[in-house]
Amino acid sequence: MSDITYGQVATFNTHPEAAIPSESPLSVAFNQISVSTPAPAVNHASGVRLEEKAFLGHLILRGGAIVLDEAVRKVLGISLPGQPLGLALDESGERSVQWLSPDEWLLIVPGGEEFEVEQRLRDALGDAHYAIVDASGGQTLVSLEGEKARELLMKSTNYDVHPSNFPVGKAVSVVFAKSSLILRRPAEDRYELVLRRSFADYLYRWILDAGAEYGIGVQR
Amino acid sequence: MSQSNQPNRLRQGGRIERARTLDFTFNGKRYQGHAGDTLASALLANGVDVVNRSFKYSRPRGIVAAGAEEPNALVQLGSTEAAQVPNVRATQQALFEGLTAQSTNGWPNVQRDVMSLVGKLGGRFMPPGFYYKTFMAPASMWMTYEKVIRKGAGLGRSPMENDPDSYDHLNQHCDLLVVGAGPAGLAAALTAARAGARVILCDEQEEMGGSLLASRELLDDQPAAQWAERVIDELAENDKVTLLPRTTANGYHDHHFVTLHERRTEHLGETAPRVDGYRSSRSRMHRVRAGQVLLATGAHERPLVYGNNDVPGNLVAGAVSTYIRRYGVVPGNKLVLSVSNDHAYRAALDWDEAGREVVAIVDARRQPDGELVEQARARGIRIIEGSAVLEAKGDKRVDGARVAAIDTAAFRVTGQAEVLECDTIASSGGYSPVIHLASHTGARPTWDDTLLGFVPSLVKGVHAAGSARGVHDLAEGLADGASKASEALAALGKSASAIEPPRADVIREGQACALYQVPHEKPTLRAPKQFVDMQNDVTAAAVELATREGFESIEHVKRYTALGFGTDQGKLGNINGMAIAARCLGRSIPEVGTTVFRPNYTPVTFGAIVGRHCRDLFDPERYTALHQWHVEQGAEFEDVGQWKRPWYFPRKVNGKLETMAEAVARESLAVRTGVGILDASTLGKIDIQGPDAREFLGRVYTNKWAKLAPGRVRYGLMCKDDGMLMDDGTTSCLGENHFLMTTTTGGAAGVMEWLELWHQTEWPELQVYFTSVTDHWATMTVTGPEARKLLSEITDIDLDKEQFKFMDWRNGKVADVPARVFRISFTGELAYEINVQANYALHVWKTLFEHGKKYDLTPYGTETMHVLRAEKGLIIAGQDTDGSVTPEDLGMFWAVGYDKPFQWIGKRALTRPDTARKDRKQFVGLRPVDPTVVLEEGAHIVVDKDQPIPMDMLGHVTSSYYSPNLKSGFALAVIKGGRDRMGETLHVPMPDGQAHEVEVVSPVFIDPKGERQHV
Repeated sequence: MSDITYGQVATFNTHPEAAIPSESPLSVAFNQISVSTPAPAVNHASGVRLEEKAFLGHLILRGGAIVLDEAVRKVLGISLPGQPLGLALDESGERSVQWLSPDEWLLIVPGGEEFEVEQRLRDALGDAHYAIVDASGGQTLVSLEGEKARELLMKSTNYDVHPSNFPVGKAVSVVFAKSSLILRRPAEDRYELVLRRSFADYLYRWILDAGAEYGIGVQR
Repeated sequence: MSQSNQPNRLRQGGRIERARTLDFTFNGKRYQGHAGDTLASALLANGVDVVNRSFKYSRPRGIVAAGAEEPNALVQLGSTEAAQVPNVRATQQALFEGLTAQSTNGWPNVQRDVMSLVGKLGGRFMPPGFYYKTFMAPASMWMTYEKVIRKGAGLGRSPMENDPDSYDHLNQHCDLLVVGAGPAGLAAALTAARAGARVILCDEQEEMGGSLLASRELLDDQPAAQWAERVIDELAENDKVTLLPRTTANGYHDHHFVTLHERRTEHLGETAPRVDGYRSSRSRMHRVRAGQVLLATGAHERPLVYGNNDVPGNLVAGAVSTYIRRYGVVPGNKLVLSVSNDHAYRAALDWDEAGREVVAIVDARRQPDGELVEQARARGIRIIEGSAVLEAKGDKRVDGARVAAIDTAAFRVTGQAEVLECDTIASSGGYSPVIHLASHTGARPTWDDTLLGFVPSLVKGVHAAGSARGVHDLAEGLADGASKASEALAALGKSASAIEPPRADVIREGQACALYQVPHEKPTLRAPKQFVDMQNDVTAAAVELATREGFESIEHVKRYTALGFGTDQGKLGNINGMAIAARCLGRSIPEVGTTVFRPNYTPVTFGAIVGRHCRDLFDPERYTALHQWHVEQGAEFEDVGQWKRPWYFPRKVNGKLETMAEAVARESLAVRTGVGILDASTLGKIDIQGPDAREFLGRVYTNKWAKLAPGRVRYGLMCKDDGMLMDDGTTSCLGENHFLMTTTTGGAAGVMEWLELWHQTEWPELQVYFTSVTDHWATMTVTGPEARKLLSEITDIDLDKEQFKFMDWRNGKVADVPARVFRISFTGELAYEINVQANYALHVWKTLFEHGKKYDLTPYGTETMHVLRAEKGLIIAGQDTDGSVTPEDLGMFWAVGYDKPFQWIGKRALTRPDTARKDRKQFVGLRPVDPTVVLEEGAHIVVDKDQPIPMDMLGHVTSSYYSPNLKSGFALAVIKGGRDRMGETLHVPMPDGQAHEVEVVSPVFIDPKGERQHV
């Protein structure tokens, strides 16, 4: 039974028990349907390295900061970021929670964990007014590393990505090319982009085009 | 290192690299210059006098200036078709090996120009307003005239082949943007940088330093350029400073958003060179958001307006100094300098030091007495006081200057003219601060009678320093830059102490006199042409004539004469033009108006504006999880918003690809008789959770939601507060406090915002959250009589028609993947919408096809979807409605709950008398009497096809298709009082004169009782 009526809300485990082939939002791009040349491989000269972290669990949390903070700490041992535009990671760096809006956070966990995490959060939240929504099929995470990564971002977004304004631990929703995405700085030498599925191909092609002069490489 | 082929090149001096000789071609002839030259300095070094022909009169023209203000030396660059660049100012184009340039005007060449005959004769026949006066009648012919005029005028041409280069944008942020790297700009940038601020310093020239690069003055007892080099080195070391040479600040937009245009490779070659196999972007638009902006843009020297002042060999005085000191080029042998101020005496001193003859300095002032005047006297240079050059002599090169005493106040010649033999006339009528960017803010500049120029008015956060605000003295300019930067940072709450500027000599300069147009013995209209705007061939006589014809405002004079309308925007001519208009009207310069500049400061190539938003990156393309499959199947795509949706799937039949009509006929029949499948993933999907979710739905939809049980689905209509339909879709009850709303593909984002708007602003007390899940789910619609049989093969859901009814939804597995299946129909047939997490969609889709083979499962696209829903009279919000249609106009009385307890959105508007009128346009079906006719969507509907125009129009066709099921064309329409017109015959007149006869029928063409979706 993949569906559990959780109180008055229906939760849904989207994952099949059987081994079923799956396609990430970048599968079209990786299959080169839309790019004329194959994705460039990473080499020592790559000023930017791109890697998709596909099939992660993405949950949108809505509700009051205090109750959600308690629940997230209880379930995952991470505190909700204390500031707007904040990003918090657990010790392994595999689980993160970021501020999206005054009553909205994005929780990213290893793929397949999201249904269990959701249930444990719901248990912890009890009667509070909140919402948890699985968005795992609708977005994917891409990391950008390399000495030219910041300049590539400057070509793409009008947000100020200078370290003085965009330090480690910050995450923002930004205009990117003619679309939008979530931009995160989980570590000194790495940026993360959360792409919406339907825009992922366009954004990927943009990034490759903008990164060509830096010898961008794609880690597969 | 022979320089014999560059007759005007000095043996030493200048900042060029003499060891690097570069070959270039101008108008088919080969020349040599040096690295560090501009095309203009190289042409002058080679003694090339005529570089162009003028726009209107086709007069020979030479180089006048040394920077962005150059009006004449416009060239067409490019040795190949693809590399053509029009209207490049030779004064701003760095020389590179192999540069190929041509004059933009002149046929067959600039030396022997056919058009010049027209110019000579035409002069008197081409007064201002000539084009208006001559070519306006008949108006219909203007397009024809225009083509001929443009060809004759010829201002360069665009390439006919694809541009091999790429362009891009870079978003920049800083505390202080400094525009201009001359003395004031360098002092400002250094002050800000030393205070730890984020600084961007841009400068349009090849090398930063501005006037310091050609200055006679010493800074700290060293040549000024050395100080500039040290400062630039220090700035380059600072990682919070971005230096942008070859970068023009072209537009100041709101809130300190400034666009800079960087020419990245234009000094290297005509197309960007490849580095490591990659061709870097040729030019780049920097989109700078600055905390504060400091304009250190310097000043443009004004030439004097005298007779034949356009003959090659006439230059502005400062340009002469620049060519000598910066490029090691003396643009002639015998100089006459005509001035109104001390500053310009430098040109004569530089000329003299270059070892060439200064014939005379003609000074309009009676007793000039500044230090530079004394220096010139001390060298024995003849100074003719109280006089000016009235007229240049010569044709393709100056060969003399007519000089006489003048009375500037009375505007007349007072003495006997003397002809001085010379080949170069340099002039200076003063210095106009470069106020363009300040003017872009909308602030009107003000006239300063002492400075004899407009000074910028500044909006908050914008500062000007140095010559840009009339502080022309070097020592003062340096200090001004430093102190203004310190003020700018203070405005940001940062303290920065102004740097100690280098020590500069203070040169005492006498007061300049106001001189713009030089009087001539003959009245202006009869005197030799005195050019004000050389690029547009506007003369003093034209300005005077315009004022006589009644144009009093400078804005009107400019438009009538085209003064300042060239690509140089009248950088040299505007103030002179205003002064002449003021003289003619007997007013002061500020009384005839101020001068307004708009972006861009210099022309910007389209590529830099577009950046990488072109070709397949022009606009985002949104793909569904099944996109690749559609591509592989050869689908044709339709743009729905930014989505790429399969439009139809043409098959090869007998080796020939189906037309759209054939494919749609086949797909439609398959759904009505077998089973079809549609990728419906693009529909908007919104997850709604919370104890007040149901209440909220009741307020945003027109119909009732109180009793919808979990497991059930309902169709809902959403109105704006004006009672007009906004969007529609189904919403499913997933749990007592949990709903899934669907919206139209195009309406998804708008509906989401609409829900948040009402929740956040009107009903914040309702406990409910909305989250978009459009991209999370992939949706596959399996529809047709065979749909149940097919789905039952791969699902564990009980599909029994009593267990899983129309408008129910169920959980289960489809092809082993957890799925939510909704039994809703947009085709009127039995239909199941299968929703799975998008990552698994392709597997489910392919499994359906494996099992669907025996049912001939047919993929269909949006066109067939449209036909099938129209046959059922199902609307598409935005196609059959246009923001003026109520639910009741659509006949959906059943979907409006007036007795709901809460005042839902649109209710009040729907109870107005206007929305209850009987003659509102109502939704009906139309059946053409001739079944082969497919009406045009948007066509108007009338009663009497023979009524004279304007006809009484009853309404219009909203959707129209050919139906293979009906074997007839059919349409949906909105018609005034349409429901009372059932069975009437109306007419649809077409532009070609024929009128189609149509019968008004029910909008439901197939299965009116709706039995088929319930099977």
